[in-house]
Amino acid sequence: MTRDKIKSEIIRIFSEQFEIDNPGLDDDLRQVHEFDSIDAIELLREIEILLGSELTRAEKKNAMEIRTINQILDYIEGLAQSRAGGETKTRPA
Amino acid sequence: MERRVVITAGSAITPIGHSKDEIIRHLEEGISGVQKMKKDDLLSGYIHSGVFGTVDYPIAYDFKRRYRKTMGPVSYYACQVAKEVLEASGLDTEFITSGRLGVAFGSTHGSPSVQREIYKSFFSGSRASFSSIGAVDYLKSMVHTTAVNITKMFGITGRVFSSSTACTTSSQSIGFGYEMIRFGRQDAMLCGGADEYDTTTVAVFDNLLACSTDYNDTPHLTPRPFDRQRDGLVVGEGAGALLLEEYEFAKKRGADILGEIIGFSCTNNGGDLILPNPDGITATIRQALKDAAISADAVDFVSAHATATKMGDTIEAQATGRVYADGPVVTGLKSYMGHTMGSCGAIETLISLYMMEKGFIAPTLNLDEVDERCAMINHARHLLEADIRIAAIQNFAFGGVNTCLIIKKP
Repeated sequence: MTRDKIKSEIIRIFSEQFEIDNPGLDDDLRQVHEFDSIDAIELLREIEILLGSELTRAEKKNAMEIRTINQILDYIEGLAQSRAGGETKTRPA
Repeated sequence: MERRVVITAGSAITPIGHSKDEIIRHLEEGISGVQKMKKDDLLSGYIHSGVFGTVDYPIAYDFKRRYRKTMGPVSYYACQVAKEVLEASGLDTEFITSGRLGVAFGSTHGSPSVQREIYKSFFSGSRASFSSIGAVDYLKSMVHTTAVNITKMFGITGRVFSSSTACTTSSQSIGFGYEMIRFGRQDAMLCGGADEYDTTTVAVFDNLLACSTDYNDTPHLTPRPFDRQRDGLVVGEGAGALLLEEYEFAKKRGADILGEIIGFSCTNNGGDLILPNPDGITATIRQALKDAAISADAVDFVSAHATATKMGDTIEAQATGRVYADGPVVTGLKSYMGHTMGSCGAIETLISLYMMEKGFIAPTLNLDEVDERCAMINHARHLLEADIRIAAIQNFAFGGVNTCLIIKKP
């Protein structure tokens, strides 16, 4: 999945799930858009669906410092690469 | 320290209306809010009862997403009536967030529709392999979801109590809220209860043969409290909220005083969890009168729990008759809207306040022929002009929980 494709999916999720339209890529989501810890957990679930695989606890904890859309994109790209490298933890449906 | 406690605002979402005028119109014109049960994809096809006390009008919710994200349908009801009560009260934000205001608000079992979605994710669907329970699903569905969504929305920092005792949920909320103010723990309490549309609740009563089934094609003719042809309760939905304040505080700020709570009792039958208990109910009523320091003949009106079950109404009538004989006028308000479960105590208290203010007593709807086993009390058979100075609101729940509130005209 390209970064642009990931970005369009994240923008869609933010609009549909969090009612945050067209956030700036470097906006502090908490300060500018009231994106809180509950939203962050919800977003992780959406990322699992997007990637088609479950995140490990360590991966989830790593996400807790994320503040911007750009950081989310970096995070997802990193996850995608690690899975492409054979580190995926996919459960059978 | 014992302080006087007054009610200074109220609001309800009921099957017979949302506004005070609409609710009073239904009462005065004898219009029922019971309708045919909506079809759902769960239990409606299996339940014998085909009626429901339905909220069928649109409600203009205006909640921002930061609040909505933790709210299930039951919290929408709860937060809406809470919002209306706080707006009507005139209390400012400084007081609301000061810690002097607490919340006593509950529901029968949180949000069953959200709980259903959680179970769906476990037992079916592609999402079951990931983090199946959303971060907010528990917050939306938990038993105290109504109370804490209210505290969150309005920044309330005082005590929080969330009763979940089925049909006595909101009468307990009011009663325990009253005691918190009376004994100086809080200066004001936002009290009430809510329950959303839910067929699992109907199924529970249906399985116990407690639901009305004979009037599925004529919903407005059921429930029929105290009537010979009654055949059980009708489950409903709704919400009710009251603002309670310490009397001197309310007086000083010029609040509109709707009524004073002068007594409350809450007991348990100490035995069977389903069967009503005449001794338990009798003791509850007597304790409430003692708490209010009044005699039985001071009570002008009794709002009976009166769900329209064969045994429940009979036992309540007999217990009420033991205490009051045929003194106060008795109405079963569930005849208009069905049994709104966790919200019924608050709704029935608010309607009693409306009737106090307007000087009338609504009759028990569908009471065409009083069951002789219920004939020892003074039933309201017609719309009455009446000066209600003191009213008693009786509620009883599964688990053997009994409550009685005594309220006085200001």
